[in-house]
This record gives sequence, C-alpha cells and structure tokens, in this order.
Amino acid sequence: MAISSARESLSHALNNRFLPNLEYLLQGSILDSAVEHLMHRLKGLCDNVDTSPETFHDLEVCMSLRQPNTNQPLMLRVRRALGRDAPFQMRYLGQPEVDQRRPTLVRSCMDCACTNGILDFLTEMGFRLEFEYIAKGYMFRKGRMKITVSKLIKIVPGKQDMANEPISQSYIVELSVVAPTGQENVGEEMRVFAEQLKPLVQLEKIDYKRLGNIP
Amino acid sequence: MGVTVLQPYPMPEGKSGAYIIDHLGKRLLSLGATHAGQFLVDCETFISTPQHGTPTRAVHVLHNSECPASTFSIIDNGTGKQVALVADNIFDLLMLKMTNTFTSKKQTKIESRGARFEYGDFVIKLGSVTMMEHFKGVLVEIEYKPCITLSYCWEMIREMLQGFLSINVGKEYPSYFTTQTIMNAMGQQQLHKQNDIYEPMDTIKQYLEQFTNYRKHVQMHSAMGGTVGPVMMNTVVGMGRP
Amino acid sequence: MDKLNLTLTAVKNLRSSVRQCFEQLADGTDGEGVEESRNKFVHDFQDRFGAINSQLREVEQLINGLQVPATAYHLGNTTFLAQETSQDRQALYPQLVNSYKWIDKVHDHSFLAFNNLNQNTLRRSYNYCSQKRQRLPFTSFNNDPDHIDKLLSEINHPPHTSYKVLRPFGSNAVAIVSISNVLKAAIVFKGVLIEWVTIKGYDEPLDHDDLWAESRYEVFRKVQEHAHSAMLHFFSPTLPDLAVKSYVTWLNSHVKLFLEPCKRCGKYIANGLPPTWRDLRTLEAFHEECRNS
Repeated sequence: MAISSARESLSHALNNRFLPNLEYLLQGSILDSAVEHLMHRLKGLCDNVDTSPETFHDLEVCMSLRQPNTNQPLMLRVRRALGRDAPFQMRYLGQPEVDQRRPTLVRSCMDCACTNGILDFLTEMGFRLEFEYIAKGYMFRKGRMKITVSKLIKIVPGKQDMANEPISQSYIVELSVVAPTGQENVGEEMRVFAEQLKPLVQLEKIDYKRLGNIP
Repeated sequence: MGVTVLQPYPMPEGKSGAYIIDHLGKRLLSLGATHAGQFLVDCETFISTPQHGTPTRAVHVLHNSECPASTFSIIDNGTGKQVALVADNIFDLLMLKMTNTFTSKKQTKIESRGARFEYGDFVIKLGSVTMMEHFKGVLVEIEYKPCITLSYCWEMIREMLQGFLSINVGKEYPSYFTTQTIMNAMGQQQLHKQNDIYEPMDTIKQYLEQFTNYRKHVQMHSAMGGTVGPVMMNTVVGMGRP
Repeated sequence: MDKLNLTLTAVKNLRSSVRQCFEQLADGTDGEGVEESRNKFVHDFQDRFGAINSQLREVEQLINGLQVPATAYHLGNTTFLAQETSQDRQALYPQLVNSYKWIDKVHDHSFLAFNNLNQNTLRRSYNYCSQKRQRLPFTSFNNDPDHIDKLLSEINHPPHTSYKVLRPFGSNAVAIVSISNVLKAAIVFKGVLIEWVTIKGYDEPLDHDDLWAESRYEVFRKVQEHAHSAMLHFFSPTLPDLAVKSYVTWLNSHVKLFLEPCKRCGKYIANGLPPTWRDLRTLEAFHEECRNS
C-alpha cells in the first residue's frame, strides 16, 4: 500500500469536514466584584467540576505580516504558557462574520502547536510584533464548548512580570467552540448556554468592525 | 526516537535505481531483517517574493511519515541564519495563507519514498529520490532506536552500513554531525552534534541537506546543457553553508 | 411516637374487625330458614358494623391528632421493600454465581501458590527455618532505611551515573539508576537484597508506579534478562552489602553498551543486537551467542 503524503491527508480532512476550522464565539465581560458569582454558576453548569477549575496563565503575542496586493495584514497569535512546560500555540483567525441569522460570531480559525522557535521563525519570515498581553484566568468545559474567564494584563516594556497591571477592572468571558465546517447547530447550543449565564453576564457577538481598530 | 544517519548510495554505472533498491532490499531480507511498511519524506520550498532591502528568504517545509502529525520547517533568511520549527500539520494550511509573500517552487518539490525494514532495534529505509517524477538517486536511512547520541553508537551504525551496503564508510562521524554551524546571540558557533541528544529535526535537516545537493546537481546539469530556462536557475536555495 | 403507635394499633383493630365482619358474612346463616338464626345473624352483623364505624371514627381522630414529622423518617432497609423484589428481574443470580466462582478460583489458586512457594528452596527474602535446625537469622532482609541510604551513597559511582532513591512501598527502597545517556535501571530492594531489576532506554519513562513494564527496545529487554541472571549470581545473604556493591559496579559497565565490540568475535552487531552480556568478573563485553563458545 502506498503511503499518502501529509498534504494529501490534510486535504482529505478538509474535504470530508472533520478538520475543525471554524470558531463560533460569544464574548462578554464581568466586573471583578461579581466574578465569584459567575465562577459558582459555571462550576454548577460545566463538566470539569469534580476537580477545581483549570487555571491558565498565558502570554499572547500577535505578529503581523504585511503582504503585497492585500489590504489586511496576516495576523498570527502565538500563545505561550507561563510557568508550565507546554508547546507554543499558534492561532490564525480569519475575518469575523457577524450574520444576523446566526446566534454567534463565526470566524475561520486554525490552531497549530509549535516548538519554541516559532517567534524567531516568524520574525525571520518578516512578521512584526503587533501587540502582546498576558491572559490569566480559568477554563471550563461543557460538552464541546469552552468557557474562559480571564483577566487581561498589559505588559510594560522592559519590566518583566513585575509591574504588569490589569487592563481593566473586569474579566473577559468567552464562550467558544471550534468545529468543522457545516455544523450549524453549534451556534444554537451556545445560545442556550449563554442564556443560562444571564443576568450575570451578557454574552454577545461583538462586531469588531464597529468598534473601530481596537485589537 | 533514536539516532539516524542518512547515507546517499553511490550509483554504479549502468544500473537503474529500481535495480539497486531491489538488490539492497533482498540483501537486507537475507540478513534477517523484516519488511515493515513504507515511508515517505517530502520537501517543498517556498521563496519570498523579492523586496527592496531584504535578501531572498526560503522556507523549506518537510514531512516525515515516521512523525505523521508533524510538519517540519526550516527558514533560511538568506544571510546564513536558519531557524527550525516543528509544528502540527495545520502549518501547511498556514503557509497557503502567505502565498502573496511566499510562493511555492513546484519544480523543486522533491521526495524520498520506499520500503522500511526492521532488524533488531535498527530501522533501515531504502528511499528512491524523485523530483518532478524524475529519479534522482538512492538515499539509505538507518536508525538505531535505543540510542540517543551518535557518538555512542556510530561504530554500530557504521558496521551495519558497511555490512549490507558493502561500501566503505569512513571512521569519522558523518559531516552533518561535525560541521553544524549555528548563529546565535554570540555570533556563529561551531557545534559538535555527535554528543547531543538526537531529535527528529536532525533527521529532517539531513534530508534537506541531501535534497539540496540533488537540486544543485540538477541546476549544474541544466546550466551545462542550457536547456532549462531561468526559472530553474533561481530555484537553488542557499543552505548557509559555504 | 406514642400517638403513632396508638394510631397503628387502631388501624390494626379496624382491619381485624372488618375481616371478622366479612368472615361472618361469608359464613352465612347455619339453619335452614329459621327466623331466629336469621335475626341473630342480622343483629350480629349490625353490631359488628357499628363497631367498625366507631373504630373508623377513632382512627380518623387519631390521624388528625398526628403531627407532620419535621424530617423524613429513616426507614433503613425497609425502604427497599417498595422496590422490585422479583428475583428474575434483579439479575442477582448470575452475579452470585460469578462471585462464587471467583472465590472458588481464588481459593484454588492461593492454595496452589502457597504449596509452590513453600516448596521453592530458592526463596531469598524469607527463610522459614525449621525448628530442628535453628540457625542464626539472616540480617540481609532486615529493613533499615538509613542503612540502604548509606550503602547507596557509599557506592563510589562514576560521574556519568546518578542514583535516585524512592520509597514507594513503605520502607523498601527503589533506586533509579541513570547510566550516562545510555540506559535507566530501577533496582527494587527488599531490605538490602535486590528483588527485581528493570532496564529501560534513556528516552523511556521509568516511574515508581510502572516499574514492571518491559522496555520497548529489544536490546534493553536482553540486558534486563542478563541483569536478572547477574542479580542471582551476585546474591550473597551473608555479605549483602558487598553483593549490592559488586552488582552496581557490574551494572555500571553498561555505560559502553553500544561502544564496545564483542571480545570474542570483534564485531558490534550479532542478530541485530550489540554485545549485551558483560562478564561478571572481568566486565568484558560479549554477544550472548559468543560468551560460552
């Protein structure tokens, strides 16, 4: 039996729709003072409650590449777990579609685990640093839905880890699913779940274009 | 993952590649090795579109059927610095997002494929190298799985190579393990890799080294024959080794 | 509680009166149309009926007087009474048979094992000395954790070898030995005696919770075989410390496992394996096939 090349098996996965490449996303925010209540609600609703909620502490670096003949630069986000030995995660996010008929925001998404040379590699490819921040918080899981409650921390250049302070007095709450193309019921599932978090947090599809060029 | 040595098989005059592979395969089987599936290593090179003030960069993307979930890539920034990366297969799709900056040189797509044999803890692969469906040569890959540094088991591997290839292999370590040059913050440094712990990336780098040689060979031929246009002339990729 | 008991007794009385009443009705009259007995029958029935009525009223009164309990009563096993009791639907029988078979088997096996172990004269850790030949008890399996630590730290090991002592099973020690970048070995002690040795490749995991899995590489499985025979060779109950020391010295000679050709045939590889055997005295390398010929 002839062995198939990696490219062949990848396009096979794409064509047969088992490569997860779409992210369904709802976002919201909650004040620091109320986050305890949300945590309790999530502990009650989610699957991984037998252990304490999983924490994360990641540094996200966004790199961009300006390409000829296109208006939008190509953006890649590289995440590195701080204080834990794990592969770097690189993520490509496409332009978000905010379709009135769909309950969530949908954007194409590619996740790729990499070795630690990735930032150097991207720099050599011509990518430039766009922005970076630290996200620290908790991760919950419900079926295939992922719920993160995270604090965004800004990075003061030159001062590592020390003087970094939170961007705001609230936590960002994200509900997301990464699924293959053509699974429309995901959005509905997420809408029902978001409904259960009301009125603590209002999860919405946020249209970035209307917000202007805020990253 | 054990130490792997890649050895090009010198082609005798008047023998076809298929004959050599068949011959070596039979010899392995009579030695007591067992046939254990197929393998494939492929390489595609992407070249950056020329821009003012920046040297041409090349991204080599390789796959190895031994590590089917990984994509290996090596970027060469044109000034001798190389950065290696191991990533998920999705990296292939990400490369396609950059087609405006990095274009694939389809003419230089090159692969080595063939049968895989096991003998004790050795894995021996007989690969026939093809570029654009043209046969280029035979590459013999030999891996000794239990050992992770070349300096410990080179003599064993050498004995294996000489035993069934019946070609003379020098006592010194293969060139990949002795003349590794890397750039870091301290400038260029010579590393002696024979004492390092072996990584899957080392196999890939050896393949890239051999593939680059085959590509150069093509270019030399075409330059002498003058039959191939300037497109092919641009495809040679500097490996940062003088 | 008293009230409840009273109520229950009243219910019992009511039930027995009703029952008696129906019994009487069922018996019918005894004579053949004798007016007198018929009257007596009706009269009796009315009496009983009246009694039922008064008892019913009594029950109702008592029930009204009952207080709703604050918490549910704990009924113990009686709560199961309401559940399905049919044997066929409980699937108890097959389980019962299975567990019976299990116990039977366990009994058989442990009996056989006990007999076998008793016959085995090669027992090294335990010595059941018969009372006739009272010998001095061995001290080699006496378990002194400090002694093991001291012993292992005393072994002057070359710089490429490192020891890590764990005690996952109470006081008995397990030493994880890493020999250069070549191999890892787990030595399981019972007191000062070596009970078991596992050899694995440098890139394979060797944790205290998985000490018995074999290496995935043929060469280390072979080395482990040899390590076991060497373990028996070096075994010396009278001088246990010396036995451990010489064993570890022998084990350390594997640092050149892939580097030394066979002393006899001069080659590195035979049957796909390097020389896996190290001579117990001279520590010279041999292929398994070459060592006896």
